[in-house]
Amino acid sequence: MTAAEAAGGSPHRTLITGVIGSDTHIVGTRILSMGLEKAGYKVVALGALTPAEEFVKAAIETDADAIMISSLYGQGELDCRGFRDLCVEAGIGGVLIYVGGNLVVGKQSWAEVEQRYLDMGFDRAFPPDTRLDGVLVALAADFSTRGQVEKEVG
Amino acid sequence: MSAKASPDAVPFSEARIPDDDFARMREENLARWPTGAGVDFEAAVDRHLALPEHKRLGFVMRRADAEGRCLTQPRGGFATFEMQKELMQALDRDGLADVVPTTTDSYTRNERWPQAEAGVEESKKLGRSMLNGFPIVNYGVDICAELVAAIDKPAIVLSGTAMPRLTSEIVLAGGYSGYLGSGIAYTTSYTKEVSIEDGIRNYQYLDRLAAMYAERGVDLHRRQPGFLTGTNIPPCIAIVVAVLDVLLAAGQGVRNYGLELGQALHLIQDSAAIHACRELCQEYLEKKGYDDVFTPVISLHWMGAWPYDDAQAAALLAYGGTLGAVGGAVSVTTKSTHEAFGLPTPEKNVEGLKITRMAIYLARHTRLDDNPEFLEEKELIGREVRPIVDKVLEMGDGDAALGTVRAIEAGVLDIPWSPNRQCQSRILPARDTDGYLRILEAGDMPFPKDVLEIHEAKLRRRAERDGVPYDQDLAVTSVFEMSEKLADLMPFAWGEGH
Repeated sequence: MTAAEAAGGSPHRTLITGVIGSDTHIVGTRILSMGLEKAGYKVVALGALTPAEEFVKAAIETDADAIMISSLYGQGELDCRGFRDLCVEAGIGGVLIYVGGNLVVGKQSWAEVEQRYLDMGFDRAFPPDTRLDGVLVALAADFSTRGQVEKEVG
Repeated sequence: MSAKASPDAVPFSEARIPDDDFARMREENLARWPTGAGVDFEAAVDRHLALPEHKRLGFVMRRADAEGRCLTQPRGGFATFEMQKELMQALDRDGLADVVPTTTDSYTRNERWPQAEAGVEESKKLGRSMLNGFPIVNYGVDICAELVAAIDKPAIVLSGTAMPRLTSEIVLAGGYSGYLGSGIAYTTSYTKEVSIEDGIRNYQYLDRLAAMYAERGVDLHRRQPGFLTGTNIPPCIAIVVAVLDVLLAAGQGVRNYGLELGQALHLIQDSAAIHACRELCQEYLEKKGYDDVFTPVISLHWMGAWPYDDAQAAALLAYGGTLGAVGGAVSVTTKSTHEAFGLPTPEKNVEGLKITRMAIYLARHTRLDDNPEFLEEKELIGREVRPIVDKVLEMGDGDAALGTVRAIEAGVLDIPWSPNRQCQSRILPARDTDGYLRILEAGDMPFPKDVLEIHEAKLRRRAERDGVPYDQDLAVTSVFEMSEKLADLMPFAWGEGH
């Protein structure tokens, strides 16, 4: 699927964006939110410094289809632990969860970092040089394979 | 979260906090976490006076300025004492840093000390730093003193917080002679929910504390983080905030106050910014009756998104040294080739220092003094800064604290890409054809019409050159520009001109 096709697909989907934990780096999530809106998604932007619980609360309140977590300051590994469990406990265990940014302290092998986050229950993890097009393609692909049914079951 | 300090009874203004109120505020503050009990002001004064001059940042900054030198200072913080000590010694000895830093971790910055404690334990268990800085409040005064003793340079704390009260008490008591942070810059850049008033109050506390040391002969170096949100901040925005922050600090009695500017990565614009910053701060200090505030400017390596390629990053490091030295900065705050990936190893941090220092050396005494473009740009910055600062002060009936709060609410003072809810953050910067940072959208900031026309004309030229619409995408592509792959930045469109 091309970026252009992805950009035109999946309307009526609600996405939660924000920066997790004590992290103030807002530029990436703001650009992501602007781009997702432009692509036709309904975006609930929680901004910087957002506790994990607030992502889950917002996802429940808005019946969101995906949670898009940003982290740039290195401590995301601590902040993101147990995030999938939080969702499960709140009754939205099947929600799509992405994470992206500088996800660990310092330069580490991306393959290992990605695996660490997948093991934590994230559907996808994105490295720091990710651009909007890559996210749109991933979202469209995941939404099309999951379909509406899974959302209702989840 | 730890208990918040009770609201201060002192009415909010730029006025000096009265001594009896301050004594009560300190008592409440120091009781918020067990290590606060380790602060003994008299012992702290003795500790500072016993330090040799070359380990006192106030003195070192004044001497470097008097001698026309450009210093280097990295950033750096890890989770445990052992890691931190090793890092500071490497930066001092191997990196030849003139000033040795301790960056606090983000839990400490948000006063989440129990979480910081857990981060320390986790780091010890895993044998790698799980925190992005040193949790200095958890460790306390004696450990600070040990870190200061472990190096032969002055030590500065880089605290990235709007809540510096307890952190500053502990590190200053432990012998750190520099503290980076300010009420307007950090509150608008590092917080979401903290009100501008609370942020200013918190730094008035720290500035009063620093002045209390000064009254006892300890010339501490306070420093203002004018890099703000670090993302394409046009010089005029940084300088407006610097002027207001230095007025607030001077109001509490601070007389040694550094002004940081993030590099625009443009030789002429950065030189103009460094000169304009110091001159405009002195201009407004003088208007307020302060003629003895030392305000050296510190130039910061690029604060936006970095390239992932080591060689590309190395170019930014070297160029940053050139920008600082030619611009006349008293110090350059350095990054490393690992910047795009987060915190550097001590080795990469050292490398960043050495690359920068070599570039500073090569710049010798080159200055742009009479360059017409430099003079023109410096003059333009003045035409941008004065109307905003004048309006802010007018809104406060002459009071910088009240004026700032009202101006931010009204959008008269605005910060690009701010996470703070009180900040409108409608102003949007972008880079023009020649590489200068310009204002694409001014929000409600009252810049003169002729000034905004200059910005618009230059950005329209870029839109034309790039064959893209004149819209917000100019700002977005400017955010990513420096991190793009070299192949995407080259080759230039030869022959097309401007």
